[in-house]
Amino acid sequence: MKDIILKTNELTKKYKDFTALDHVNLTINKGDIYGLIGRNGAGKTTLMKIITTLTNKTSGEFELFKVMDNDLTEAKRKVGCLIENPAFYPNLTAYQNLKYYAIQKGIVDLKQIDEALTLVSLQQVKNKKFKTFSLGMKQRLGIAFAIMDNPDFIILDEPINGLDPIGISELRDTFKKLNEEKNITILISSHILSELYALANKFCIIEKGKIIKQLTKEELDLECSKCIVIKTDDIKKASNVIETDLKTTNYKVIDKNEIRLYDYLNNADKVNKTLSKKDINIMSLYETGISLEDYFKNLLKEAK
Amino acid sequence: MLSIIKSDLYRISKGKAIYIVILIILILNIVSAVGLDAGHIGLSVGTNIDVTDTETLAQISSVNSISDYRKLMKSFGTFPLDKDVIGQNVNLYYLFIVIVVIILCTDFSNKSIKNTLSSAISKRKYYLSKLFLILGLSTIIVLFNNYSFYLINLIINGKAFTSSLIDIGKYTVVQLPLIYGIISMLCCFAFIFRKTSIFNTVTIPFIMAFQLIVTGIINLFHIKADWFFNYEFQYALVNLVNNPTTSYIIKCTLLGIFYIIFFNIIGYYLFKKTDIN
Repeated sequence: MKDIILKTNELTKKYKDFTALDHVNLTINKGDIYGLIGRNGAGKTTLMKIITTLTNKTSGEFELFKVMDNDLTEAKRKVGCLIENPAFYPNLTAYQNLKYYAIQKGIVDLKQIDEALTLVSLQQVKNKKFKTFSLGMKQRLGIAFAIMDNPDFIILDEPINGLDPIGISELRDTFKKLNEEKNITILISSHILSELYALANKFCIIEKGKIIKQLTKEELDLECSKCIVIKTDDIKKASNVIETDLKTTNYKVIDKNEIRLYDYLNNADKVNKTLSKKDINIMSLYETGISLEDYFKNLLKEAK
Repeated sequence: MLSIIKSDLYRISKGKAIYIVILIILILNIVSAVGLDAGHIGLSVGTNIDVTDTETLAQISSVNSISDYRKLMKSFGTFPLDKDVIGQNVNLYYLFIVIVVIILCTDFSNKSIKNTLSSAISKRKYYLSKLFLILGLSTIIVLFNNYSFYLINLIINGKAFTSSLIDIGKYTVVQLPLIYGIISMLCCFAFIFRKTSIFNTVTIPFIMAFQLIVTGIINLFHIKADWFFNYEFQYALVNLVNNPTTSYIIKCTLLGIFYIIFFNIIGYYLFKKTDIN
């Protein structure tokens, strides 16, 4: 069984009449790259801020490294994070800014600063003042801050904002490398679905403070892949016919009225005829296959 | 906690503000020593020369140069100028604002506080580290101001216008509780207002505005207000260097302790409740 890094239980945050986070339950295991998907204002940042103790929760609880949320001082030392925009002292250089936090975290080996700067390709400009940095460079420094001190868990809120395509690709590789080589767990949010898809192995879709779907990458692939959607009022009989007459097990029961068949993609007519012959009442049958964006949109529509 | 203080000292050493503060103190002290005048802000006057006397006032206003002014002041006899300057330590109020801004308000303004709180330290330790550092640096500023003036005054005006080192120490010690109280108030304001601009807008005029409003009310309603002239921050600092009674020192010390506890409880409570954006 995998170690649990973060577990939330009915976590809720309210601002007067507005509920920013509504009874959120999620579990992140060691080694996961957990992608948080949601529109602006969906509650992604609020969740991250509560986990990092920047914001007080209204109700519910969470545990970080198996430590309850009322005493996280030690657990927080294993966490590196970049929440919202990177914030540093404008008159200090990149190196000085990281050294400031290195002293704060009690890091003795200052080589870690250079290593972090090298990982985000800022070594060449480490002596430039933060206020002269472009948005992308600021973002990189924020990521360097998050990965400095070899944390076990990195929380990244929209880390690729402002980065150019090459920068995005490089950072994706860096995150993957950190995850694969050092087994660092990552919680990352973004509204660029394709980027998150390229990086994460688990996804959580959040809307209006509520989690509307949690799934693994395999499940997401399955949900988005091309298939024949069969809507019927007799799922059990339809499943039997698919297995015995159509001789395939490559299907998935979605709910009490829907089956998704991943074979016979160019032969929906045969599927229809076979099911009809066996007196199965077919309410609808059609081919589908959706992009990540469409899948996301559909989920949000359903949530409404 | 110590690591937060160390990191802030590192950051401050890389900036200009603290060196400017030191320079301002030296310039003010040289001006005061050369002009044989403590200089003051607000309503209280702590000089040994009676400037309410109309004849003296006429003499002072008739001089045209610093050398004439020095001659005139010396004609009134010798007096411990350093005691006057320490009595006017309310002038340091503005330098305390600078210290609070560079240590605390910049964290809120740059939003760099979230880096510290999210991965290094609890809110309680953060609050205490910042408070201790601000109090520590302010103490150094008070000591530097008092003793650097003593030296500058000794060099420029000679022994006739200086107190003993022990007296300087006494003046400093009796003033410190009230000074810590006012610094606690500034910290409390910083945790309430957070943004540097709002903090400055409130705190810079605060000390004068407070005096003007209270004295205005006292005059308007003919209130007997000895308490105000005894215990208001600026008056109290002057009184504390002018041969105060032991009971007065104790009362001022208790008042300072009350300020420290009161403002820090409010400051910490609000900070703890606040969401960091």
